[in-house]
Parts: sequence; C-alpha cells; structure tokens
Amino acid sequence: MMDKVSGMDHAELIAGCARKDRSALRSLMEHEGPKMLGIARRILRRADLAEDALQDALIQIWRKAGSFDPSRGSGRAWIYAILRNRSLNMLRDGSREAATEDDRLERQIDGSELNDAWEMLGHDSELRKCLSELETDKRSAVLMSYVWGYTHGEIAGRLSAPLGTVKAWVRRGLTSLRECMS
Amino acid sequence: MRTADRDLAELADEFVIGLCDPEEQREVEQRLENEADLAAHVELARQRFAALDAATPEEALPEGLWTRITRRLDALEAGGAESQEPETGATVTDLGAARAARSGGIGWTGFTAVTAVAASLVLAIALAWNVLTAVDPKVIAVLVSDDGQPVAMIEGTQDNTTLVTMLGDTDVPAGTVLQLWTKPDPDGPPVSVGVFDEPQKTVLEAMGLPAPTVDQLYEITFEQPGGSPTGLPTGPILGKGFTKEPN
Repeated sequence: MMDKVSGMDHAELIAGCARKDRSALRSLMEHEGPKMLGIARRILRRADLAEDALQDALIQIWRKAGSFDPSRGSGRAWIYAILRNRSLNMLRDGSREAATEDDRLERQIDGSELNDAWEMLGHDSELRKCLSELETDKRSAVLMSYVWGYTHGEIAGRLSAPLGTVKAWVRRGLTSLRECMS
Repeated sequence: MRTADRDLAELADEFVIGLCDPEEQREVEQRLENEADLAAHVELARQRFAALDAATPEEALPEGLWTRITRRLDALEAGGAESQEPETGATVTDLGAARAARSGGIGWTGFTAVTAVAASLVLAIALAWNVLTAVDPKVIAVLVSDDGQPVAMIEGTQDNTTLVTMLGDTDVPAGTVLQLWTKPDPDGPPVSVGVFDEPQKTVLEAMGLPAPTVDQLYEITFEQPGGSPTGLPTGPILGKGFTKEPN
C-alpha cells in the first residue's frame, strides 16, 4: 500500500531488500532515515548511539525483509517497530548510562520536549485529539513511555507517584485512547 | 506464562509503547508467531501511535552513513563480523538474544542478565513512612560524606525493605529531594532504591532488586523532585558507604 504522505511504497522497498537489492535499502534510508534518527535520538539522547540504532535497524530490515508479510500490517509500521525495538533494547541493555553521561541535566530541566512530541501532531490528528482528552498525568505517562522509552519505574520517579498509581494511569490512559480512536 | 491471562488489547498496547518488562516482551514476541488475534491487536496499536513517529523532528543523516552500512552489508555477505549481531528470528526482536549478545556492552562489563532485568524493573517507591519500627537488617551501611562525616545509616533486609536513618542535621538544598542508590552488581550501574523528601528516618521498598549483600555500595544524592529522571544519579552526593553484616 502506498504511503499517503510520502508517496513511498514501503512494502515494495522491503520486498526489494528481500531480493538483496541495495538501492531499495538506500532508498529506505534516505526517505525514512532522518525521522528514524530523530526517534532514536529522543530515546537514546546521544547522536552516536542514535546512529548505531539506525544502522542496526537498517541491517535488521535487510536481513528480515523476507519475513515481512504485507497482509499482516503496513511496511512503514514494520520498519518503525524494528527501529523502536532496537533503540529500546540498547537503552535497557546499558546505553542509558552512556546516554545520560553527557547531557544528564538536559531532560530533567526541560519537560517541554514531551509536550512538543504530541503538539507537533497535526491539528486534525485523531491521536492528538484523543491525547488531549486525557488527564495530564495519564497523557504524560503514556508519552514518557512511547517517546522517551521510560519504564513504569522511571515514570513513577519523574511524576512523583507510586508505581501502582502509574501502572493504573497508563492502563486507563491506553484504554481511553483505544476507545477514543476506535 | 505471565501474559496468559492478560487482556489482548491492553497487552498489545503495553508491548507497542515499550512498557512490557523483558520477560513479558519475550513472551509476547513468541506468542505473536502463532496468535493472529494478538498480532492484529499489536498492528492496531502500532497504527494508533504511528502518528507520533511521523511527527518526530528529523535529524540530518550523518555523513558517510551509507558507506558504513554497505561495509556491514559486505561483511554480512562474507559471513563476517556481522554474524555476531543479535539474531532475532522472525518476529521483530528477541530481547533475550539481543541482551545476551550485548551483555558486557557499552560500559556495563560483567553486568549479568539477571541484574539487567532487575535494573530495568527497579522501582523507587518511597513509602514515606516516618516509622519508628525497627527492621531486621541483613546488612548495615554507614554512609560517609566527602569530608569523612557519617551522614546516614542504611539497614537492608532480605526482602529489600530498606530503613534509612539520617545522622545529625542534613542540609537539603532547596528544590531537591534525597534519593538512595545502590549497586547490586559492583560492576553494574547504580539503581534507585527510593526517593524521600525529609531528612528523617524513612522506610524504602524497592521492587525487583536482589537481596542486599555484604560490601554492596549505597549512596544518597540530591535530585530534582520525583527523583532523577535519567534513572541514574545526577545530583551532588551526600554520602556513600559499603554494607557490612551486623553481628
């Protein structure tokens, strides 16, 4: 299926990767790479780690392209899921320490990045509308997880709330989003 | 199976936004191969959140990126170094394999999978009780400031209830809270035991940490309200010390 925004056919490029056509991978890198790098950077904080995540993700896309099944989901979502997974795994596996060493003060001062994350969603975006209907704490909890890769515990620390409360916020927030967007 | 009784839509959402713990994540990845309904929920959740990815500010690709990637593709075809890359099978990722392949990776030498799991689950909940009840400590540490003054006593129990007793007057800088950290693995990163506001006797309960042992490092830092947002100590150190067994 053609992506409405970019006019790119992700599934076709993935199929190209499965045929070991390097120009297909390069095309994916050129079209999606800058955005993928931005996502990895928000999770991993450091430019060099974000590039590692992007490289790893592109190599995984190349290797696993043959297992992609367009009937089960969109190619774009598949690519981004690989990138997010790679970034989160790097984070959980220890890059967090390295990632926070240089700019450890930045995020603790500036929570506005989180607001930007959803306010940059277009005004006609259903996700934006539904997020804006959530209470602030629930919205923050969901966004800290998706955008920054925070764990329940880290969200609890950041929002000064008990773990159980945070888990409940996240679940209720996600349920409300599902209902709102269905 | 830990995820067996979970509501599929809820589980799929938590999987997609990244809130499954490593064990749950592995289970979901395995289940996705055979359970079409769970896979459908995951796909729906991905589509719901895809707009956040699409709205992420772009970053310019670093120079030479394609050259570095082609080098890896060459190595891959030659069956070289790339074969050590985490093998992830048919589903999108295999956290366990990725973790195993990377253990001892960036800066965490000797950090075992077990403590990595613990660290990612670790939770810092201050029960904020001003308790007078004694705990039955397995280990005790006296934390000492830079200039050699004892500033706090830590009593840790087998189940990781931790009693913090502040010694003398503690001057907490305005706008900060106290956060207790420990290193369950001497070569691993510090993990949070809990956050507390008042420099007084406090019980902290950390979930997901192994029981404290002898010669384990504890330290208290001053952090922003709610505790360090990075999951690692960022503020000035009040004091630190190693545990000993009470006899």
